[in-house]
This record gives sequence, structure tokens and C-alpha cells, in this order.
Amino acid sequence: MSVLLFMINYFHRILEYTVNHFTLVLTVMILSMVLWFSVGVLISRYEMLAGAVLGLGNILFCIPSISLFGLFMTIPQLGLGRRSAVLALVLYAMMPLVRNVYRGIKSVDPRVVEAGQGMGLSSWQLLWQIQVPMAWPVIFAGIRITVVMITGIATVATFIGERNLGRLIHHGITRSNSDMILAGALIVSVVALCLDMLMGLLEKKLVSPGLRYQQRE
Amino acid sequence: MDSQLFLDTLLQRSPPHILEHARLVLVPLGLAVLVAFPIGVILTRPQYRRYAGRVMAVLNAGQTVPPLAVIAVFLPFLGLGFRPAVIALTIYALLPIARNTIAGISSVSEDVKEAARGMGMTPWEVFTQVELLLGLPVIMVGIKTSAVLTVGTAVLAALVGGRGMGAVIFAGINFFRPELILAGTLIIGLMAILLERLLTLAEWFILPRHLR
Amino acid sequence: MIELQEVTKTFPGSGTPAVKGVSLQVKSGEICALVGPSGCGKTTILRMINRLVEPSSGSLFIDDQDIMKVNPDHLRRGIGYVIQQIGLLPHRTVEENVALVPRLLKWPEGRIKERVEELLEKVGLDTDEVRKKYPYQLSGGQMQRIGVARALAVDPPVMLMDEPFGAVDPIVRLRLQDEFLKLQQSFKKTICFVTHDMNEAMKMGDKIAIMNGGFLVQHGTPREILAQPANSFVEDLVGEDRGVKLLDLVRVEALMLPREAGTANGRSVQALDSAKKALEVMLEHNVDGVTVCREKQVVGILTWETIKTYVHQAGSEAGG
Repeated sequence: MSVLLFMINYFHRILEYTVNHFTLVLTVMILSMVLWFSVGVLISRYEMLAGAVLGLGNILFCIPSISLFGLFMTIPQLGLGRRSAVLALVLYAMMPLVRNVYRGIKSVDPRVVEAGQGMGLSSWQLLWQIQVPMAWPVIFAGIRITVVMITGIATVATFIGERNLGRLIHHGITRSNSDMILAGALIVSVVALCLDMLMGLLEKKLVSPGLRYQQRE
Repeated sequence: MDSQLFLDTLLQRSPPHILEHARLVLVPLGLAVLVAFPIGVILTRPQYRRYAGRVMAVLNAGQTVPPLAVIAVFLPFLGLGFRPAVIALTIYALLPIARNTIAGISSVSEDVKEAARGMGMTPWEVFTQVELLLGLPVIMVGIKTSAVLTVGTAVLAALVGGRGMGAVIFAGINFFRPELILAGTLIIGLMAILLERLLTLAEWFILPRHLR
Repeated sequence: MIELQEVTKTFPGSGTPAVKGVSLQVKSGEICALVGPSGCGKTTILRMINRLVEPSSGSLFIDDQDIMKVNPDHLRRGIGYVIQQIGLLPHRTVEENVALVPRLLKWPEGRIKERVEELLEKVGLDTDEVRKKYPYQLSGGQMQRIGVARALAVDPPVMLMDEPFGAVDPIVRLRLQDEFLKLQQSFKKTICFVTHDMNEAMKMGDKIAIMNGGFLVQHGTPREILAQPANSFVEDLVGEDRGVKLLDLVRVEALMLPREAGTANGRSVQALDSAKKALEVMLEHNVDGVTVCREKQVVGILTWETIKTYVHQAGSEAGG
């Protein structure tokens, strides 16, 4: 109950944090999807790059988020705030996104690809008309994991000056205010679920009904 | 970049925190295995299998709560210190272990189990010698995932007085010293790799020769 | 016309060639059935014709055009390609699958729509029922039919078929074969048809090309192959009952002794029936001969003795 009261009392502050959190995650997701999708497609075509790129993603993923934020913060061109936060989070998103794009494309039945080739699709057409559409389910699994994860890690960006929901938790800890902490945790979860649903809608639009059946199999 | 400061951090400032950090990782990981593994096993037994979906949904929803929040949430009840950090990290490590225990045991085909029963194995023997052994690689992947995740998340424990390597990294952030952050991160990375290797080694010893 | 001249293919990393010096001609309007055990090189030959595989040496021509001089994508758009049902794109509807190549060739949408309807009807499907369905919603037989429709979409003169009826049960397969042969009578495509089933090859092929270990072992009409198997490998492939199979390819009218018109007595068969049918009638009713009729008119007789002589002769031709 007191959590609710807290949320009402600090409505404007919380709204600002929520909006900031939302826009940060959305910025990161849009940049990441464009960038890591391209990289995933690239390494599915140039196999010799795949090992190195996926390895790099794994290493980045193992660095604690707070370290990555902290290191970027000390680079003068990035500094405190959004630029460092965006860069760190985009790097975090690399592993799940690149991996799933790569796996998705690789998991397309080679016989289907070859059928397309036999029909006379060029290699560009094969990619966009067969490989990518058939990989969407796996790619979207990656996107949805990533969006939930990034929403969570974005809270840590409060330590480098982002005014987002992490600040509620951070200040809740320093002031030992459980309502503040709970409010922060609760709203972050709601934001994560909303973004996940948003991606779910996009998924529904992009994944062919002909493939949804296969997923259930 | 002050290389002297970097080396000092690496060799003198960090070592005491390494032990604290190891404790912050191993205790929750051990507890998480003790809790999640039996849960996973129970949820693969025929009479409880139907609850598996619901329990996993709850654990999955739990995963949407950010690590920072999990760490913080127990603070008001348990106060500052090692305990709230351990409980939070334990909860955070549960999901991958439970999920992979269920996946690993379920991946053993009915035919194999049937064959084992046909050879006269008791249910307990089927469980320990067939289901667990064949499911072990997948279960171990879950434990390793949790281990690597916990090594990183444990950094946040410093915020609630749990100490560990987080103390070094937050000092770096507060004083704007990349040397501290870099040195701390390097140690944490090495710890993650070491732990992963040790678990791989453990798996190698548990598995009978022909399954290695 | 499809022509292969001394075509050899060695896959990288493999010591022995998959196809060794094969020369083969498929005349316009003819079905050539490539048959042989798995790994004999028959599929490789097919895939060289649309350049999914590039030959190591030798040349291939389609209508006297060296295919190595054609852009492979353009080449393939001009060749119908039918493979087992997996070849349908699972994320596209039936309509979109059939329209695939016309879209690549940028046909106007109206024309594509018409063409799709026409083709689905031709292969014996209810257009309104299937057009919006996805492949997983279809039966095996329907998928194969759509595979054929898709290959026919831009009316290519040449078609390549790789075990096109392989993934359906035997009864559906027989029906699909019959339907396809009927279509072929009006389309007169030049077709390479890969199968591992000798009976299918006999039925579908105007000519049969038998492959073994990368070599073309024998190339001829089903009758030539049955009558004169080139070696013991072909004999084994054809099977013990090649005499009977041979009779399946001969019409009664070709073997019968003409007889003055009269009324049928005893057991009778039609002049256009196969000699095998006549043999079956004789065996079933334990008689030495049957009357041959055209409609109701008796035109001749066919005796046990005649059939025996024919099979024997055909067999000894092989020896000589």
C-alpha cells in the first residue's frame, strides 16, 4: 500500500524516470537491431568471421555491466550520461542478438534454400525472401530476451548519471527506503513486459503464419 | 591512464576483495543448486510434470526484475551486509539451473528409459544412472550460466554492504578512476573463466568414461 | 534439347569423381529418367543442368546454348525445377509459392493471378480451397502437385525433376505419375527425371539413363533396356521379372496373330491392352490363349506360345 502512496506522491519524478528509461531502452534496441542484425547476416555469409565475432560478443557479455558503464564514463568523448549508457548497452545486446540472427539463418533447412536457388533466386533474393523470413522466429526469440535484459541492466546506468528508474532503486538503497526500491523494481518489470509485448506485436506482423505451426511442433 | 595505480589495484588493493567475491559467488551458487536442482527433478516426475509450466512462468517473470532491484529488495528486511546479498544472488541464480535441469532430464528419450526398465533397473536406478547421467551435460550448462551470471551480478552486492570486487569498481566510479574499474573487471573476468573451467572439470570427473 | 558432352564432376575433397565422362542427349519433348542407386551421380547430373553444381570438365547445352555462358540465376528461372515436397517455401502460401518465378520475372500481378489459377486447376487442385493455405496445411500429394505447378509457372521448355513423387505413399504416387504423364502429353516438355525406382523410370521415361558409380551404364528406351541389359548391373536393377516387365510395355496388337472377324469365344482382351494383361488373364483362367478384340470386334488371338517366344527372343537378343 505504501508503495502505491509513494508512487502517487512522486508521480512526476517517477514519470520522468520512466520516460527516460523507456527512451533509453528503445534507442538501444533500435540501434542494436539494425547493427547486430547486419553483423549477424554478415557472419552467416562469411563463415570465417563467425567464430571471432561470436567470441567477442561472449566476452563483452561476461563483463559486469557496471564496469562497462564505468569505463565508458571515464572516456572524455563519452562522459557521464546517455552516450556512455547507450554504447555500453548496445555492446551488451551484441551477444544475444548476433547469436540468434546467425543461428536463425543457419537453421534454415538448406534444402529449402536450394529449392529457391533452383528457382533462380539471386543470393540477395535468397537472403531476403527465404533465409531471413524463415529465421524470424529465432531472431525474435533473441530480440525478446534482449529487450527484457537491457531494460534490467539499464537501471545500473543510474550510477553514471542516467535519470531513470534505476535511480529509484539506487536512492532507495542509500536512504534505506523500501517503498522507493519496490516502486523502482515494480515499474522496471512493467516496462520490460511492455517492451516485450511491443516486440511480440512486431513478431506477429513479421513471422509468417506458415512458420508458427513449425514452432509449436 | 596511471599504470602504477592500475598495478597497485590489481596486486594490492584487490586480493582481499577477491576472497569476499568468491564467497559471494560460491555460497549463492551452492544454495541455488541445492534449491533449483530438486525443484527441477520434482517437476520432471510424472505426477508433478503438469506444474512445470506454471513454475517456470513464475521463474521467468522473476527474471524480468532487474538484478539491481533483486539485490536492493531485501535490504529493508535484512539490513546491510552479506546476508541480503547472498539471498538476492541465490534467487537470481535459480532460473537457469531449474530450467536446464528440467530440459536436461526431459531430453532423455522415453525409449531409453523404457529399455532401462526393461533390463530390470529400479526406478531409482533409472533416475540416477540413466536420466541424471544423460541429462547432466545440459544441467551443467545451466549451472555454468548461473555461475558466470553470478560472478558479474555479485559486483552489485557492494551497494548493500556485501563487499566483494564491487567495492573496487564502485570506488573507481566514485573517484572517476578507470584504472580501478579496469583492474577490477580484469579480475572478475578471470574469476568467471576460472569458475567455468572448474565446473567443466567437475563435469568431466562426474561423467563415466564412455560419456565424456 | 538437353545435351551433355563428356561431363565430369569431382567434388572438392573427394578422390573419385561423382560423375565420370557422361555424354547424354535428351531430345525435345522427351522424358529421360535418370536411374540408379544412391550415390551413383544421377542427382549431380541433374544439378549440373541448372548449375547448382558446376561441372569439373565437359560441356552442357540447352537448345544448343552453352549453359556456362548464361547467368545462372537467369538460366534457372527458365528451367522448371521440382523436388520433394520440402522444396515448397514453408513461410509462403500456395499462391505465393506458385507465383515465385513469375514475380522474379516481374510479370504484371493480374497475369500472375490468372496463371496461378490456371495452373492449380491443371494439376487438379481446387484453387479457392488451397490458394491461401500454407504448405504445412496440405497433404503430401497436394504438396507435390503444387511443386509441379510452381515449376510450370512460366512455361519453361525444360524441366528437372528430382524424385518429385518420392515422399508420398505408393497409391498416391501412381496417381500423380498418371496425371503428370497426361499433362506431359499436351505440354511436351523436355524433362530430366531422377528416380531410384526402376519401375517409376520405366513408366515415366521415354528414355532411361542408368547410372552406376558415376558412369552412364546404359541409355535407351525402356524396351531396349529390358530386352538388352548392357551388363549384369542393369540386369539386377531391372530385376528377375524383366520378361514380365517387357510384356507390360508391349501391346497385345503387336504380338497377336490376326484372325478373321468373328465373335469372341473364351477369354478376351483388348488390342490396346498390354501383353502382360493378356498373360494375367491366361494365368488366372488357366487357358493357353485369349481372343483379342477391338471394341466388340474380334481381330486376332494371342497364345501362350507366342508370348514365350517373344520373351525368349528378346532375351537372346541381349546375349547376341
